[in-house]
Amino acid sequence: MQIEFSNVTREYGAGDRKLKAVDGVSFGIDAGEFVVILGHSGAGKSTLLNLLGGMDTATGGEITVNGRVISNLNDNALADYRAETIGFVFQFYNLIPTLTALENVALTRSIVRSPLDAAGALAMVDLGEHAGQFPAQLSGGEQQRVSIARAIAKNPDILLCDEPTGALDSDTGIIILEMLHKLCREQRKTVIIVTHNAVLAECADRVIRMRNGKIRDIAVNAEPKAIREVTW
Amino acid sequence: MYRIMLRNIARHKAQFVSVFLMAFVALVIYAGVGAEWQGLRDNANEVYETARLADCWLYGDGFSDGALEKIRVLDGVVNAERRLELTATANVNNASLALYFVERGEISAPYIAEGAPFDAAGADGVWLFKRFADANNLRVGDDLTLTYAGISLTKTVRGLVYSPEAVYMASAGSLMASSDYAKYGFAYLPQAAFPLPVMPYSTLMIEGGVTEEEVSDALGGNYGVFLKQADHPGVSMFANEVAQHKMIADVFPVVFVLIALLTIVTTMTRLVTAQRTQIGTLKALGFRNQVILRHYVSYGLWLTLAGGISGAVAGVLTIPKLFEPSMSSFYSLPKWGASFSPAYAVVALMITLLSVVVIYVKCGGLLRETPAEALRPKSPKSVKHSALERSKLWQKLGFNAQWNWRDACRNPVRSATAVIGVFGCTSLFVCAVGMDASMRGMKTWQYDVICGYETEIALSETVTREQTDAIIAAVDGEAWMQNTAVVRFGGVSKTVTLTVTDGNELVRRTDAKLRPVTLPADGVSITRKLAKSLGVRSGDTIEWKIYGDNVTTQSAVVAVYREPTAQGITMSRAHFESLGFEYAPTSVLTAQTAAANFDGAESVTLRADSGKSWDEMTEALLIMVYLMIAAAAVLSVVVLYNLGLLSFTELERELATLKVLGVRAGKLRGLLLTQNLWFSAVGFILGLPGGLKLIDAIVAFSGDEFDFPVSLKLPTVLAAVAFTLGLSALVNLMFGGKLRRINMVESLKSAE
Repeated sequence: MQIEFSNVTREYGAGDRKLKAVDGVSFGIDAGEFVVILGHSGAGKSTLLNLLGGMDTATGGEITVNGRVISNLNDNALADYRAETIGFVFQFYNLIPTLTALENVALTRSIVRSPLDAAGALAMVDLGEHAGQFPAQLSGGEQQRVSIARAIAKNPDILLCDEPTGALDSDTGIIILEMLHKLCREQRKTVIIVTHNAVLAECADRVIRMRNGKIRDIAVNAEPKAIREVTW
Repeated sequence: MYRIMLRNIARHKAQFVSVFLMAFVALVIYAGVGAEWQGLRDNANEVYETARLADCWLYGDGFSDGALEKIRVLDGVVNAERRLELTATANVNNASLALYFVERGEISAPYIAEGAPFDAAGADGVWLFKRFADANNLRVGDDLTLTYAGISLTKTVRGLVYSPEAVYMASAGSLMASSDYAKYGFAYLPQAAFPLPVMPYSTLMIEGGVTEEEVSDALGGNYGVFLKQADHPGVSMFANEVAQHKMIADVFPVVFVLIALLTIVTTMTRLVTAQRTQIGTLKALGFRNQVILRHYVSYGLWLTLAGGISGAVAGVLTIPKLFEPSMSSFYSLPKWGASFSPAYAVVALMITLLSVVVIYVKCGGLLRETPAEALRPKSPKSVKHSALERSKLWQKLGFNAQWNWRDACRNPVRSATAVIGVFGCTSLFVCAVGMDASMRGMKTWQYDVICGYETEIALSETVTREQTDAIIAAVDGEAWMQNTAVVRFGGVSKTVTLTVTDGNELVRRTDAKLRPVTLPADGVSITRKLAKSLGVRSGDTIEWKIYGDNVTTQSAVVAVYREPTAQGITMSRAHFESLGFEYAPTSVLTAQTAAANFDGAESVTLRADSGKSWDEMTEALLIMVYLMIAAAAVLSVVVLYNLGLLSFTELERELATLKVLGVRAGKLRGLLLTQNLWFSAVGFILGLPGGLKLIDAIVAFSGDEFDFPVSLKLPTVLAAVAFTLGLSALVNLMFGGKLRRINMVESLKSAE
């Protein structure tokens, strides 16, 4: 398996006020899968994503990615792991407001050893003609596409998406999901999406349902649907 | 609401602390340095007024009753009186005392510190300089024997006094002023104490406004020198010192206050802007605008008021104390201490008022928004591509440069504040270090280049020709005559030092570049500073006369030379005698370290002691210098840290994004350092000439006597570079921990 969580725990606070956001979770994900993590608010799905993305560190258990244990890396090693292995797509895009669309994507040049061509990545999300515009001049959907282009340009193995359509209308959301799906199928990227929209489960290779920090169940779809095939 | 304020202060404590600190530091410096010089001025004025310091002095060979009467009846003269001045030897420490036999004690009277009031009508007692008495353990009631020209007088000390004319006291006949109060001093006696039947009054003191022309007409030119109060060395040295402190007090604190204001305005604006959503929430909950406004205005009000007032108090209490030891070792005043001026409170209130106005305006603007608008994300700042961004060069710049350029352009006020802050600090630093270097340079110039002798033996007024020759022979010395002269050119006259040399071995003269140079033996040479102030050039003819002498001589200037401390004219003995004057040496210089007591010698000064005395004299200025460096450093760090913090808070989300993308903390620090370095560099480049201008201003107030070798030397520039960059790096280090601690999850969670 490309990704393995074994008995992973993330506790916050100390003493009596300890809160287990993720509580002894174990699962695996294969390379190139389209994975959907479902759950209500506070279920622990975002924490799970943050642990996998090296944005947060586990307080117990072990996380292995591409055969390498990442749950015990130091700050700089984690930074390098995020740079080379992970691409993030956020709910609120998190673009650098002082950089143009193209510059936001080209930012990867100074982080990653072998990035993709920034203009090419932008063209891939159909934003070639908006290259010179600043985030504030783009619509929400366009900003999210820039954010995806930035994630692609790093040429990562794994794309982590935290509520990528949460701030978008449904039509635009579908376009974004199609792009992510396409990336998974055509470029063999592992795409993991955190959402509370259960409909998306029909399109996933693997669905992880969470509740109160634990995994309720994991389902593997033998025949996942295309994005357009489901009713939104 | 109170709890909100406390939480906000806790949350933004660094910004609040820096606003408090800015107000505090600005007022410490403004009020402290102000209280120092105003204290000097007020304490001296108290002596001048109590003792009724003369407005002018006439020196001559004996002023008759008739002469006194002619002056008294002049328009503008309030009062006039005479005295006899002579230098005697006291029976303690072989000390040299200037004796004043006073006619009435109404003008330039002794200022009584201890003992009986001065009794001019009596014949008993002596009123002795308090510091001389203290240094020699003399008390009121002790007897003192004074010897002059073989005549001895024994008198009881009836009072310990200060003199309004000797707030600064030069030791008799010496090249350098002395602060050796055990060996030099003065004493007042009633005129009836004078042991000879005829009283040859040497000084006529005038209270009131008269011109030299009026005096000259009244006396038919029958006097030596007319000296105005402002030109009296005992008054002017101190006045120059005070003027210099005032100059520094007028310039430096203004820089501090301006930087403080700018930083406070920037910080307060940002703080309030950051509260936009909260303001919207409070409005939505039903709070009235006035309540919200009062709440935010109170932040700035209490912070700056507390900072300003505590700063003013701390400044007045501490800074004058720093100067007291050095000032009191060199100047003699009965009382030291700070003066308080309402201006300090005004400046503190002004800073407070400004921060309140800024918050009022900013907060008022936010309150005009409806709660719904305020709760929505703020529309982004307008974005425009600058010329640089449209150029080809832009593409070649790395992310670091592009990001920083845009960030700086989007935040012009913050950028300008940083540049101005660094500019101010660099100016202060360059000025301080430059002053320090030029004071040291001046000492080297005086004591290593010019001074070729080890010992200066000052001769007494009554020394005989034979005694002088004997001293010269005993120490293999060189006679040296120094006197006061009045030089006149183009209608302007200046009281300066006249030097007549006999041999050119032991005192080297220096050219414009401070290199030793031999002056022509035939003719009069003039110091560069005096030449400049009179507009004299080599070849011009000047008029001069010896202080106390009635003969005016015209001489062509044959050379201009540079001299650090005693501006004036110089000539060889041969030339002086060829003009018909009698050569009367005032001291003997020798390359030997002579300590023996010779007949006819009044005092012996070693070069090393003079050097020490020089250090004492320059100490006050150096304290000022170090104070400025320290304050500049504090200010730089607070300004840069504060602005760094502001941008850090605003950029936290971006920085977290970069961190998530895999940028290491070290690289993020580099990103922030780049901007700091840019601002530092621009501020620095502007600050160098700024510092030089400040030095020029201080030098202009240093008085006629001193010629400062001011220049911006490489070590000063390098020190300034190290200082500025060092502070930038220090501030950057302070952010290291913060960058490491950025919580990516938390920072990115909040909605835009």
